[in-house]
Amino acid sequence: MMERDIKIETLIVMSLAIFAVLAVVAFVIPFEDTSTKLFFVGVVAALTAINVYGMFMVWHSSPTIVDEVFLMTPNGMLLKHYTRRLRPDQDEDILAGMLTAVQNFIKESFDSGGRLNEIRFENYDILISHGQNVVIAAIISTKKPERLRDELKSATADIEEQFGERISKWSGDKRELGDVDAIMKKFLSGKYRR
Amino acid sequence: MHPCLLRTWMELREILKKVVLLGDGAVGKTSLIARYVVNKFDDKYIATIGTKVSRKDIQVVKPNLIINLRMMIWDILGQKEYSKIRSASLSGAQGVILVGDLSRPETVQSMNDFWLKEVERAVGKVPTVIVGNKMDLAAKNSMGSMLLDSMGQKFGYPTMICSAKTGENVEQIFTALGELLVADVVASTPKTKEKAPQTLAEVVDYIVQDFCAQYGDLEKAMLIIQHQFQDAGVDIRKPKKEAVLQALDGLAKAEELSLTKSVARVNLEERQRMVILSKG
Repeated sequence: MMERDIKIETLIVMSLAIFAVLAVVAFVIPFEDTSTKLFFVGVVAALTAINVYGMFMVWHSSPTIVDEVFLMTPNGMLLKHYTRRLRPDQDEDILAGMLTAVQNFIKESFDSGGRLNEIRFENYDILISHGQNVVIAAIISTKKPERLRDELKSATADIEEQFGERISKWSGDKRELGDVDAIMKKFLSGKYRR
Repeated sequence: MHPCLLRTWMELREILKKVVLLGDGAVGKTSLIARYVVNKFDDKYIATIGTKVSRKDIQVVKPNLIINLRMMIWDILGQKEYSKIRSASLSGAQGVILVGDLSRPETVQSMNDFWLKEVERAVGKVPTVIVGNKMDLAAKNSMGSMLLDSMGQKFGYPTMICSAKTGENVEQIFTALGELLVADVVASTPKTKEKAPQTLAEVVDYIVQDFCAQYGDLEKAMLIIQHQFQDAGVDIRKPKKEAVLQALDGLAKAEELSLTKSVARVNLEERQRMVILSKG
């Protein structure tokens, strides 16, 4: 948890400062003997190593950024759509339908009874989590989609538990959906992260 | 108070329904809807994955109630052999448009012998409109037309004849199905008359709320409002009528895309009237 609290910007500034000190130590300060000089260079080198390790840890623990989330019924009806970007030419209802149509096609083609869990396209990953009455598809453009899978599964389970029955009888009236936003916002803000 | 400022508030509902378009191959299903729906994907998807989804928005007006009905139209491959894909696509359908070719009576007969049974098996009895396409190629008392009429009487579904080529009656098919889909929806609040906003600031506040409610997606709606207000130079704390009127045009253009042209026009006229009559 500790490394998540340190911002990458802070580490970059710290790195630059340490490199500057290293340069000063190595080339500007006139040390009387070599061993003293080597001692200071060693201290600065150790600090640099710690800093590089810290940067790696921050990169490693950085959250996967979700670009878009489609909350749908298994029949391809869009219940809610959340996005970080405005795409005027995109029709989320049609996209949700086509996403389901593609899943149907793959499922029937393989005739395995399984379900499509992930689609990869260039920089995009579409992770799909299936509940009995609800399907959540998350589009991400950052690396490490495997981290999101458990979060998506937890959010799906929570929606299923709280709204599953209501969604199974949903008439199409958006007022009848209930406050699914609360769970989805929890998911989008990373509160399902462990 | 000006009588126009006493507005009868109508309840507004956003309803989404899944509609499936069915019928034999080459009866003109895809052509029938092509010009009348929002298409975002090429027709080739019907041949490749067996389905293409498009959408049609209509407005149904009832006493004290305006329903913005969004029909998601699933156009499914007409070849009878692809039963698995068809069943998956039919799942959850709340309405059906069944299409036959009037110039080929066997395709009309096929609706009776095959397609209606398929629908009943997959989703039970749902609102359905039976359509005879290519009326421009068939006489009024042709075999196809007669079969269509007898099917309508037998199953109790409305039947319509149309031409995808000329566009005759196509829009009416969606209207008829739309009305069937929301037949049991009634206004939940009694008819009330509320005091309408009076000052320009109140009117602007009302317009913002109204736009967001009708647009559906609050986040996007607010971004559009922000953009349009900025372009028109609307100062939300001290709005000027000219600037607000200019912003309304931009909002109407956004509504033309998200709702329908007729709804956008009605909204624009109503909002313009409120701005003009407001104080300040």
